[in-house]
This record gives sequence, C-alpha cells and structure tokens, in this order.
Amino acid sequence: MPVITLQLVIFITVAALAIASALGMLFSRNTVYSALLLVFNFTTVAFLYFMMGAPFIGLAQITVYAGAIMVLFLFVIMLLGTEQIARIEQLSAQSVAAVLLGLVIITEAVVVFLLRNPTSLVVTSGGDVVSVNEIGGLLYSQYLLPFEITSFILLVAVVGAIILTKQEKPAGKAVEGEVKK
Amino acid sequence: MVIDSAMIWEWVIKSVAILIFCTAGFAYTTLYERKVLARMQVRWGPNRAGPRGILQPVADGIKLIFKEELIPAKADKLIFVIAPVITVIPALIITGVVPWGPDITIGGRTIHLYLANINVAVLYIMSITSISVYGITLAGWSSNNKYATLGGLRSTAQMISYELALGLAFVGPILLAGSMSLQDIVAAQAKSVPFILLQPLGAVIYMIAVIAEVNRAPFDMPEAEQELTAGYHTEYSGMKFALFFMAEYIKMIAVSTIGATLFLGGYLGPFLNVAPWLGPVYLIGKVAILLYGLIWLRATLPRIRYDRLMAFGWKVLFPLALLNVVLTAAGITLFGGK
Amino acid sequence: MSDQSAVVGTVTEVFPDWFSPDSRPGYAGYIVPSERMREAAGYLKNRKHFDMLTSVTSADYFPEDRIEMVYHFRRSTGGEPLRIKCFLSRVESQIDSLVDVFPGAELQEREVWDLMGVRFTGHPDLRRILTWEGFAGHPLRKDWKEPFFEDEIKPYKSRWPEGKFIRAEEKNPLGDNLCFPPGFDPESWVPDKDEILYKSMTRVAKAGEDGMDSDTIIVNLGPQHPSTHGVFRMVARLDGETVVDLKPVMGYLHRNHEKIGERNTFLGNMPFTDRLDYICSMSNNFAYALAVEKLLNIAPPERAEYIRVIMAELTRIVNHLVANGFLMNDLGAFFTPVLYSLEEREFILDFFEAASGSRMMCNYYRFGGVVRDLDENMMSMLKAILERLPRKMDELEKYLIGSEIVRIRSEGVGILTPEAAIANSATGPLLRASGVPYDLRRADPYSIYDRFDFDVCVRYHGDIYDRFMLRIDEIRQSIRILKQAVRDMPSGPVLTGKPQYQVRVPAGEAYGRVEGPKGELGFYLVSNGKTNPARYHVRAPTFINLTSLAGMSRGNKVADVVTILGSIDIVLGEVDR
Repeated sequence: MPVITLQLVIFITVAALAIASALGMLFSRNTVYSALLLVFNFTTVAFLYFMMGAPFIGLAQITVYAGAIMVLFLFVIMLLGTEQIARIEQLSAQSVAAVLLGLVIITEAVVVFLLRNPTSLVVTSGGDVVSVNEIGGLLYSQYLLPFEITSFILLVAVVGAIILTKQEKPAGKAVEGEVKK
Repeated sequence: MVIDSAMIWEWVIKSVAILIFCTAGFAYTTLYERKVLARMQVRWGPNRAGPRGILQPVADGIKLIFKEELIPAKADKLIFVIAPVITVIPALIITGVVPWGPDITIGGRTIHLYLANINVAVLYIMSITSISVYGITLAGWSSNNKYATLGGLRSTAQMISYELALGLAFVGPILLAGSMSLQDIVAAQAKSVPFILLQPLGAVIYMIAVIAEVNRAPFDMPEAEQELTAGYHTEYSGMKFALFFMAEYIKMIAVSTIGATLFLGGYLGPFLNVAPWLGPVYLIGKVAILLYGLIWLRATLPRIRYDRLMAFGWKVLFPLALLNVVLTAAGITLFGGK
Repeated sequence: MSDQSAVVGTVTEVFPDWFSPDSRPGYAGYIVPSERMREAAGYLKNRKHFDMLTSVTSADYFPEDRIEMVYHFRRSTGGEPLRIKCFLSRVESQIDSLVDVFPGAELQEREVWDLMGVRFTGHPDLRRILTWEGFAGHPLRKDWKEPFFEDEIKPYKSRWPEGKFIRAEEKNPLGDNLCFPPGFDPESWVPDKDEILYKSMTRVAKAGEDGMDSDTIIVNLGPQHPSTHGVFRMVARLDGETVVDLKPVMGYLHRNHEKIGERNTFLGNMPFTDRLDYICSMSNNFAYALAVEKLLNIAPPERAEYIRVIMAELTRIVNHLVANGFLMNDLGAFFTPVLYSLEEREFILDFFEAASGSRMMCNYYRFGGVVRDLDENMMSMLKAILERLPRKMDELEKYLIGSEIVRIRSEGVGILTPEAAIANSATGPLLRASGVPYDLRRADPYSIYDRFDFDVCVRYHGDIYDRFMLRIDEIRQSIRILKQAVRDMPSGPVLTGKPQYQVRVPAGEAYGRVEGPKGELGFYLVSNGKTNPARYHVRAPTFINLTSLAGMSRGNKVADVVTILGSIDIVLGEVDR
C-alpha cells in the first residue's frame, strides 16, 4: 500500500486529465475541439515528464507538439472549414483493424507491466541525467549516426515539400496574367 | 530540497508580485504608450483623468467593465469565451523564470529574487511563446467572421515563421553563458559585458522577432486595422476585449524583460553589492527603455504587407539568425568562451 | 467652342443626319439622334481624338415628353469640352450604352439609370448605384415627388403659415420624415443577400480557375470599415489574400444632393455645395460660381479673381496634405504622418476662418466675386503660411520618402496605365500620376490661371508612390502660384454689382468646371428663368475616379486595396452626393 503523498495526488489528477482529454479527443465530433483536447493531452503528458524530473523532454514536448504541430493541424482544419465530422462513418474495415491493433497494444502493455518489475522501467535518477548538456553530449557522441540520419530524412522531407509546392507556380502565374487582361 | 510553509508563502508572494507587476505594468504601459505617441505626434495625450492623466488607465478599466459583452449569434460560444483567457495566461506566466535581482536577506533568511531558476529557462520561454498563438487563432476562428478568421490565420503563420528566428536568437547568449538558465546568463554578463556588445546581430534579430511575436507595429498584421478592421478581436467587446489588450501589453513587457535579461545584463548595474534592492529598479529601467523602442516603432513605421513580412522572416531574418549562431560558435571556439 | 465647332462642322456636312447644332437660345453643343449615339461616340473617339468622356448626365424637361442625355467629351491634349445631346422620350427612355467605347461611362450610366430612369442597352451591370435596390421611382424626374413634398422651390411657404413655424416631420405620426414604397413592409423585410451583385463577379473569378480546387471567398470591406474613408463598401472576391475581382458599392451617404439643389435658389445652393467634398469647400464654391456666372454672363473684378485663386490653391494644399496623411494611415502608419499634415492644415483653416467665418464650410464665393475682402492682417497670416509651408514640405518629404517600408508598399502597386486612365475618365492626380499631363488650369484655363507661371506636375509610373509624390509636387506648385498671386494682387472691389439675395438667371445651360484637388469638378446647370435651377448636376471627380478602382485592385493583395483606395483619395460626401 503506497503512502499517499502530495506528488501521488498530483500524479493521479494529471493522469486522469490526460486520459480524459485523450478520450474526449477521440469522441468529439468537432475537429477543432478534438485538436484542442489533443493539445491539452500533450500538456498533461509534458507535466508528467516534469514530475519525473525531465524538464527538457517536457518542454520539448510542449514546444514541438503543442506549439508547432498542433498549430498546423488547427491551421489546416480552419482553412479547409471541416469542423464537423459526419455522424455516420462507413469505414467498417478500418475500425475493425483499429480495434485489433488497439487490443494488441493493450495486451503488450499489460504483459510487459506484469512480467517485469514496474519500478525497473522508471528512470529513478532525476535531475542532471536528462539535462540539456547531457542530452547534447549523448546526441553528438553515442547517438551521432541516428541523429545524422534523422536530420538527413528531415532534410529530404523539407526539400520534397518545397518541390511539391513549387510545381504549381508556373501555371498559377499564367492564369494571373490572363485575369489582368 | 525541504519544503516548509515559509517557502510556500514565499512562492505565493513572489507569484502574486509578478502578477501585480504584469497587470499594473499593463495599465501604465498603455498610459506610457499614449503619452509617448502623443508627444511624437505633436499633441498632449491623455491629461484629464487625474494629474497629468495618471488615472487614465483606471478610467479605461472602468469603462471596459461596464461595456456590453456581445457574443455573435453564430459564434462557437465556449471557445469564444475561453479564447481571451487562453491568450492572457501565457503572457502572465512567461516572466516566471526571469531573475529580478541578486539574493537579498531579510531576517536571516535568504530570498532569491526569482520565482524559478530552472536549468531550461530559455526553453521554457520558447514553449510558452509557441503556445501563445492558440488564443489568437481560436479567437479568430470562433468569431465566425471573415476578418477575424483571416486575422487568426495570419497570426498563426506569422508566429510560426518568427519563432524560428527567435529561437536562434536565444542561442547566442546560451552559447556565451554555457547555460540555459537566465540566472546563469545574467551571472555570465556580470563577469564580462552585457551580451548586446558581443551579440549585436543577435539582439537585433531578437527584437525584430519579438515584435512579430507580440503583433506590434510594423508587424501588427493579425489585427491590421486598415484592412482587417481589428483582425482576430473584431467581434470582442468589454472585458473580453480588454483581456486581448492586456495580453498584448503584458507580452510587450515580458519580451522586454527577457530581452533586457538576455542582452542588456538584466538586473545588473552599479552599486548592486551595496544595495541589492537596486536590481529590480535597474531591470524596470531597462524594460522601460525597450518599451520606448517598441512604441517609437509604432509611431513612425507603416505596416509591412503580409507576404513581404513572411518573405522577410524566412529569407532574411532566419538565415541571419543561423549565421549569427555559426559566428558565435566559431568565435567561442577560437577565442575561448565563458 | 471655337475649334470644336470647326471639327464637328466638317462632320455635319459629311453626315448631316448625325450632328445638328443645338440652336436654342442659351444652349450650345450638338444634338445626335439617340440611335446614332454609340457610333457617333466611336467616331469622335477614333477619328477626332475626343478620347475622354468627361461626364454623362441627363436633364428632364417634364411638361414636354423629353429627357436629354448630355455628354461632355474632352481631348486628353486639352481644349474645351464638346457637348453632345440626345433627346429621348420620357416613356421609353432607352439608349445604347457607351461602356464598350468609353469604360469611364460605367458608373455614370448607372447613376443616370438610378436617378433618371434611362435604360442603357448593352451596359454590363446596370443596377441602381446611389439609391437602394428597393427604391421606388427615379428621383430626378420632375414628376417624382419625395414623401411629404411641400413645394418646388425653397423657402417652403407651408413652413410658416401666418408667420408660425412648423416642420413637415411633426405632421407624421412616426415622428420622422420617412415613407416606404408601396408593398414594402419593414417588419417582414429580409435584407437583400446581394446575390445579383455577387453573381456579377463570378464570371471574372472563373477565369482564375487553373484546375486547382481552391475556393475563393467574398469579403465585404465596408460599409463600416476603418479604412474606406467613410461609409463606402468594396466587395472583394479573394483567392487567399489576392483580389480576384472587386466592385465598389456606394450610396450609403446618398441624400440626393441634386434634387435638393434643384429646390434651392441659386444663391441658397452655394453653402450646400460646401457639403459635397467637405475637405475642399472652396473649390466646390469656385466651380459652382463659375457655372452660374456663365449663365449670368458676368465676370468678377480683378481683386476677386486673385482672392479666388488664392483660396482654391490653399484648398488644394489642404486636400493634398489630408490625402497624403491618410494614405500613410492606410499603409499602417499609426497617425503620426496624418497629425504632422493636419498641423499644417490648421494654419490654412485658421486663414479660411478669418476670411469666411468658417473653417470647413466656407461659403465664401459669390456670383461675380467673393463675399468679403481680405485685410492686411489676413495677408500677413497668408505670408506666414507661405514662408513656413515649403520648409515643412521638405521635412515631410524627407521623413516619408526615406522610409523603406513606404516605398516597398507603394512602388509598383495599383498601377493605372495612361490608356486605362484616359479610358476610365480619370482626372486629377490619378490621371497625372499615370503620365498624362492633363490639368484643366492649363488644358482649358479658367479664371486667371493663364497669368501664373507654374508647371503641370506629371509622374509616369501610375502607382501609389507616384500619386503620393505627385501630390507633394502639386503642393509645391500651388505655393508658387500663391506667391505670385500675393505679389500681384491689386486693390479694388471684390464683387461686381451689389450683393443680392435673389439672382435672376436667364434661361439656358452652362457647365462650369475647375481643376479641383481631386480632379475635374464640374457643375452642369440648366436654368429655365426661375429662381432655382431646373437641372443641377455635379460631375464629382472622385465618383468617376472610382471606375478605375477595380482594374487597379485585381491581382493585388487585400492590404494593398485599401492603399489603392486611399491613393484615389475619395470623399464620400462627394461620391454619394
């Protein structure tokens, strides 16, 4: 029986909020609300990172996911004006697959949780182990190759995005000229 | 770290002090701005409420409280109401990591003049600025108004573009100080010189990027009065409008505070070891100077067109910021940092 | 109309059934059969180089079954206007539209349709323009009477039976002077969704489709909008932030100035002209006085001519200061340039106040002179202004021209080619900034402008920046004229004859025009010998300059549209009349 500490209370509250917002995201019919609940979910998860003594991961989570990616999601939703999802969806095959995959993941989590000592999964040493200096050092020594490969993939993605959008340009210009005439 | 009740009280008092500084600062920044603008525009500015118009912000506040709150019929009511709140919260909490002065001792107890000294303070500032766009975007969308939506979309695009340059402008002081903690950055400036002398390009990039972040002239695209009436807050009135107004000015104060800390030496100044209470005074003085700069820009410059603003952000500011990082790193490697 | 009559004189011999001189006493110009008008206009344009259709208007001769269409053609190289008339039946009242020959006729023909009920066949978008869509009747027709019609001529005798004063509104149970058209119920009325208006824009939008499925949206800039300079509305179809098509919608400030003017006595109408373009009331007075003086066939004394020129040029300076200041505001500068401009304007307004007793609504000109003389004190005020202004203009120019943002935002934006400007009947700074050196003070001189040494300013790019700079140039030229006028001003009376309340105006027609600060400001008057004009038409320069707005805006960003509008420099009091 664990002792009820302040930290435990906060953890349970935050975890409950995280689960609630995740469920709300899934079941909301308004995509803007879904996106906002997802942002909230990211924030609560970031808070869990803070509690584990990993402020860098937590803040990176907020900056990257909540601050950049979800803003773009909202941007697209608002631009396309697809706030409301239709009530009835005819994607039965997809939903069956989704349920199956979800079951697999839950089973996996439960099995791992039961088979292994839960405490061994927790990084106990808070503080400097996950500090900025530490992460930087590891990225440029031990994990240099994966880091560089990731950067390369991102670079390819950026170049690809530019090329994809670039192709419209000549056509667009010609039409503009016509309108002026 | 032992947490006793005195410490909790200390936190509470410091938090309240920061909130009061932000809100009172907001009120008097509006007066400051109106006075400075007026004198730049050959007129007097507010001088009726109280001596020299000193009570003008109070009068404005009372007026806004009694204004009718309108919610458009087809607005998304929930988001319409919470959007101003979402906007104002990041503005209020962003200054939590800024040191206000050296440690002072009261009754045998050492009190740090900062709310939190986290080792990723700069990252904290980055993440708070990155989520501060939500309030504006949501306000624009929930109003169900074309001007507001355009304003919201513009602000989203603008903030994302300028965040990159802003983040890179932070890198200079971080490299020079070798730490992300603002406390350490100020301490590093105490040992050498204010970083604006070592990082002139970085300081300029920082100031330009934050003007875009807080949507001030000449980058006040999201609320561009001349084309979008009032942009994202077109449909807002009364206290909800006041919250947006408040967020803008508090953000101005916040970015000036952070800018002063990063580049102007923060609370540092002469005679600090004799009278540590001078720290906050120096900081407020530096903030006032930066605010004056922001107001001056508003009084003199026309607005840049939206597409040119984006082009400037991506094609000029961002490469310059990268160059600044490279130069700083090279300099530290060659001449030895810290 | 010396050289014009020579031009057309040859024509009348070649095509005797096309042009016949208007030989009624007091009238001038040529009469063209209505079915020939389009061909005649094309002939005048292509063969005789009358390339500007300055004004299109109409006059109703009620007891007779006749509506006259009155066209004024001009050459962009200068000279007097050529007046062409067409006689239409009041019942059929139909004529071919000139829009495909002279695009500048578009808004003017819509105005004639709206107010006089002449239908133009072949007009691309013949909707009401100044009154609203549900308006009953065409108000400028003589048999159209407003609600609570009292009398044909002011002062209304019914207003003081036995010396007692009553107002028509008090007779109305609703408490205001309001009447709805038959079949209109304000309770059940649903506001018009402007479907017709929006549909008229889609055809241009279709051309922009490039296979990409991108939605355009319609944004209504106005009527309540901070940068439309009043209650003016622009319906813009946007693709992203780019303007695909744009239509000006006006009339929100319409009060049927011309109908009211026809009820006023000739002199009583003078202060009413102040309210047209309220920035430059002196110019309005000037043009109106010139028109009536043509009918009366009198000329003001020397000193009055100089005073008139001084006032007109000061008005030009005032207008250009305001226009440039607010153009900077449209660019997003937060009021600083405006306030610097307004500071200079204050000195001139003080001078106006000293001379006329009012700062803006001057009511200073009279038929045959001006109302009051300038004394020594005022002259020294004027000299102080002339000493200060050039210095301040240099300062203003230095601050604004050096600004990178101003140049980026204004250079190459909102281009109007000289051909388009002439075709659209643009006048004033808008025309001259497009590289057409056309200024009525030189092209068709009036008053004593032929005595002064000044340059016609012209700039060649036709963009916002050139319009801005052209106004600064013109201020400098106005200062030049003012200095000469102050130097040469003779002493003497300022009014021919003695001041009179009621003038007897002989029957006839006249077109008086000045180069107003915003363009050619003309008054077309028809008198039938009574105390009030039978027809009173204002050729409002900004109204006609707005014809060019759509063309200049297409392909630009929304942010530029408001600057383009600002560079046209409109005043809604004059546009909507």
